[in-house]
Amino acid sequence: MNLRTLRALARVAGLLGAIVMGTACAERSEDTIVVGFSADITTFEPGMISSRDNSNIADHIFGHLFSLSPDGEHTPDLAHTLEISEDGTAYVYTLREGLTCHDGEPLTAEDVAYTFNRIADPENRFTGNAPGFVFTSIGFQDAEALDDLRVQINIARKNPIAFGLITEIDIHCKDSYERMTLDEAASNPIGSGPYRLASWTRGSEVVLEKVREPGNFQRIVWRVIPEASTRTAELIAGNVDIITNVVPEQIEAINASGRAEVQVVSGTRRMYVGFNLSEAHSQMPGGEAIQDARVRRALQYAVDVPTICRQLLSVECERATGPVNPPNGNSSLTPYPYDPATAERLLDEAGWARGSDGTRFAIRFQAGQGRYVNDVNIVLAVSQYLEDVGLDVEVDIMEWASVYTPLLRERSMGPLFFLGTGGGLWSPIYDMTDMADVASGTNYTHWDDDRWFSRWADVAEAETPEQTRSILDEMLQVFYDDGPWLHMYFQPDFYGVSNRIEWSARRDERLHVFAAALK
Amino acid sequence: MGSYVVRRLLQSVVVVIGVTLVTFLALQAGGDPTYLFVSERASLEEIEATRQALGFDRPLHVQYLSFVGDLARGDFGQSLSYRQPAMEIVLEALPATIELTLFSMVIALLLAIPLGILAAINRGTAWDGSIMTFSMLGQSIPNFWMGIMMILFFGLYLRVLPISGHVPFLAPMMAGDFGTALSNLPRTIFHLILPGIAVGTYSLARNTRLIRSSLLEVLEQDYVRTARSKGLPERRVLIHHALRNAWLPVVTIIGLEFGFLLGGVVVVETVFSYPGIGRLLFAAINQRDIPLVQAGVVLLAGIFILLNLVVDLVYVRLDPRMKLAGGRG
Repeated sequence: MNLRTLRALARVAGLLGAIVMGTACAERSEDTIVVGFSADITTFEPGMISSRDNSNIADHIFGHLFSLSPDGEHTPDLAHTLEISEDGTAYVYTLREGLTCHDGEPLTAEDVAYTFNRIADPENRFTGNAPGFVFTSIGFQDAEALDDLRVQINIARKNPIAFGLITEIDIHCKDSYERMTLDEAASNPIGSGPYRLASWTRGSEVVLEKVREPGNFQRIVWRVIPEASTRTAELIAGNVDIITNVVPEQIEAINASGRAEVQVVSGTRRMYVGFNLSEAHSQMPGGEAIQDARVRRALQYAVDVPTICRQLLSVECERATGPVNPPNGNSSLTPYPYDPATAERLLDEAGWARGSDGTRFAIRFQAGQGRYVNDVNIVLAVSQYLEDVGLDVEVDIMEWASVYTPLLRERSMGPLFFLGTGGGLWSPIYDMTDMADVASGTNYTHWDDDRWFSRWADVAEAETPEQTRSILDEMLQVFYDDGPWLHMYFQPDFYGVSNRIEWSARRDERLHVFAAALK
Repeated sequence: MGSYVVRRLLQSVVVVIGVTLVTFLALQAGGDPTYLFVSERASLEEIEATRQALGFDRPLHVQYLSFVGDLARGDFGQSLSYRQPAMEIVLEALPATIELTLFSMVIALLLAIPLGILAAINRGTAWDGSIMTFSMLGQSIPNFWMGIMMILFFGLYLRVLPISGHVPFLAPMMAGDFGTALSNLPRTIFHLILPGIAVGTYSLARNTRLIRSSLLEVLEQDYVRTARSKGLPERRVLIHHALRNAWLPVVTIIGLEFGFLLGGVVVVETVFSYPGIGRLLFAAINQRDIPLVQAGVVLLAGIFILLNLVVDLVYVRLDPRMKLAGGRG
């Protein structure tokens, strides 16, 4: 190979490189907002959507009868009024006039009824959040169109939180969906919301285009970026406008970049150490001790939650006093202070003095790994605090999906376990229904205090909001004093936001960009 | 040769079945997958209904035999997560991985040949030492770490290359949309540079060493000495006589490496948010999406077997001393 050939090759390579870089560098346009998130989308079938990331995108494609505002207010969307029957089993929504789906089909009460009945149809074998959680929780029976604009949703029994759960249902049109197979519906949604699906490259990105208000951007690009450091790099480089799940170690880098900042919001996920009070667990080491409410109360003072938040989450967390997200909780309750001396005294008074080896009792502490922010380190920190007051803690960290989750579903983890369960802002009752019944699948602790469970009947019978509030406060007092949780914090959510846009993160993990705008 | 090919293809059926069985058992060892397909607050009744809907309530051997029976009819079932034909989803991700694999292997080969030659003909010099040091580093540095470092340097500090993402070329090309494919090509290459280097560096380093050592061995041969003594230019001796034989071990490795890279670049694909098969299967395993995992595994096993066969056939063509079937040599 002679020099002339080498020079020619170099010129060609240089030309190619210039073409590549010249054509490849594209500025983000002012009518496009880009969101980077961590997990891939699997479907746009309303009956199959279950993950929060998936539903965040679907919320832009599909309209809802009513919506929940960032503060938890129940606000009109496709419907403008809601009437609930005297016995609480019939919900009548009146739609706004002139609604259409993205293919131009008019959206009427018949379509809303079709939506509900289609999702509930066992022939479709849907396993998403709508049939699996919403319909089961509200006791959905069926839906019927009363006329063109009024649709009635029938449920099995009076339910104080049905109105909020129904906001989760993605409304779609009958004719559009009857023409499609289930496979087609999963990847070609025809929605009723402000944006339509323009393209979906599996594993890569979803592009939405605006069809109606509200929305300040013509296009929303949702990019799948699984690796946290890559999301951060893209944000700082100016290639994305919003990223989710910023890890605490990268907050400083983002804030120092001058191109973006981290918004920290107190999320609605209740993080706690659960005391498993089942008969089986009472036989385990430490299980007998935690059956005593005095021991559980003592341990509330043993853990320095603020320090855990500051050191391991890099923020001052919103402390928990119970299962209800603020501001809907019992306002008279204050978080337990860190006071190991009090913890030790109360444990002594409960009859669990330190032995000659300095130990009061041994106990196993189980947790899943990789599900919550810095979960393993938090569990280790909690266990150390418990050791400091004389417990001999055996920490058992497990893989989340295949090892811990089955235990969770069978309510057999423990005697101590670490967990975070999703909550909401729109009703304290919603947060409390984790323990609506002793046998309910979300009563992971097997708690059975009658001072709590017997009051549900009173809640159902309450005639005024004030009465309801009074009953709930009493229940929450019981939970605070003698409940089955070591109260910790509400998990903070970290969003990276480009300085290019004006946008505020919501506390309830919903990521809506309707109101986002260029600065 | 025809009978050899037929025999190898029949053997491959057994291999594929074995692979699916191992995969199935491994996935089942991870526990009941039903919990991953229900919401956080699903009741026990809902969980049981889902278990039945997804077929996980059947005995394991029934589940597996049902899968094999469908497989014989070319039906890989529906992805539990996507609710679409599993093989369709896997084939969607395949072009992206082929692009990345080909790109990284081309880079690796284009650089490995001159570097290997340079090291061999300058044996014992600073050139040789530098190239071998680079080779050692290239084989030692984890590709995901290299990927993150390149993202920081080229993507964030210099801002000359994209940090993540993919622009398709092969997919529109295979769909007949040549216009889109060609217009995408510059951006496709642009997005392949960083992940391609991250993936290809190990291969480049290894191939460089392989070419160097193989060339050194060949350069000692009598026929090379004869070629030199005939007065041929050194460049001709190297390229036309020595390299042709030094190349053989690399041919074997390349073929197998292609198959390995198709399914084994999951970490790089994750770092660069590259929508390839590796990342798809990794997510499918985490989600216990058994049909999707099986479809991917069958496809990759099939490609690997085919490549293995092609490599064997090519090797025989390149080296007349080799024979097919019944052993080598």
